[in-house]
Amino acid sequence: MIFRAVEDADLIRQAARGDIEAYNLLVSRWEKRVYNYLLRITGNREDALDLCQDVFLKAYQNLRKLDDPGRFAPWLYRIAHNEAYSMFRKRRPETDVEELEPESTHTGITVGGSSVFPIELSLAVASALERLSPEQREAVVLKIYQGFKFEEMAEVLSCPVSTVKSRLYTALELLKADLAPVKARGVS
Amino acid sequence: MSCSPFDLREYFLKELPEAQSLQVEAHVRTCSTCHEELDRLVLTQAALFSLRDEEIPQRIAFVSDKIFEPSPWRRWWSTFWGSTARLGFASAAMLSVAILVSALTRPAPAPAVKATAPAAIAMTQDQVQQQIQAAVDLAVAQSEARQEQKTQRLVADVERRDAEERQQLIRVANLQIDYVTHRADIRQIAASDYGPPRSTAGDSK
Repeated sequence: MIFRAVEDADLIRQAARGDIEAYNLLVSRWEKRVYNYLLRITGNREDALDLCQDVFLKAYQNLRKLDDPGRFAPWLYRIAHNEAYSMFRKRRPETDVEELEPESTHTGITVGGSSVFPIELSLAVASALERLSPEQREAVVLKIYQGFKFEEMAEVLSCPVSTVKSRLYTALELLKADLAPVKARGVS
Repeated sequence: MSCSPFDLREYFLKELPEAQSLQVEAHVRTCSTCHEELDRLVLTQAALFSLRDEEIPQRIAFVSDKIFEPSPWRRWWSTFWGSTARLGFASAAMLSVAILVSALTRPAPAPAVKATAPAAIAMTQDQVQQQIQAAVDLAVAQSEARQEQKTQRLVADVERRDAEERQQLIRVANLQIDYVTHRADIRQIAASDYGPPRSTAGDSK
């Protein structure tokens, strides 16, 4: 993991000097993670893909502003977070950011009406995630799926660590109530 | 509510330091309530992980586009400041150049200064002499010209006065001639009218 981080730092420095190939290699390492992060907070594959492209384009244009290449991940996810919420605001400008909800259906993440997660547990998980607030859901995605530390999450979300913990712990309580029994039944 | 010495959720989320994590693990082994709480968290996480990451439907790649590339100057500048080795080499090169320039522009030794000073002074004196001679020549020429004009003017005046005197003399001579001729005519007329002409010797009295 450390070796990869060092390699990422080298690629970032090369890309900052205008090396397109180095940046493409960097994108190939991060695109799946960023795409899935965007997919889980937007609930739509097409939006996630469009946003993902915008995120990496914006990241390339601003790569020289990244002082510490070791902070690339939270910096990149911060861009992704901003791009996603910017899209939410454009689509529903009259809605407060706190009230924004991803555009997903009650049957889970869908594209063109077809379910993305056919199995029962995946549906239950998708349904449980949808019941969370956007902030709680994003906290779960960043911590559980993306593996960020609290400080990094605070950087991505631009809020205090205490706020991050509050959102995450509340979300875990809700998810635990929904999913632990479901999982328990599935296991038993 | 957990009775764990440290937050069980932070332990579960791997946010606790190693020493605190060991204490929580020891507590969980002896506390059924915390053990059950931790099991539920683990089950929740396992359920969440059933939602697998998807493959991105379309790979993202960038081609070299001048619009999005930084300018050559900015690339060079970024490269320069981004490379410690190059920065060090540039600093060493600048220092070498500074030493070389300092050596080349150092003032010459004192004897050389003394040797070159008279030559400069001699050249200056020659130039001053030439300029003085030129000024004197010019002044002399101008004075001679003025004297020449004055002489010509005086000569012209003298000649004019001489001519006037000569003409005056001629006029006086002509008047005398006329006078003599007139007297002679008068005598001749008188002699012819009132008796025989007298000798010239008597006329002269």
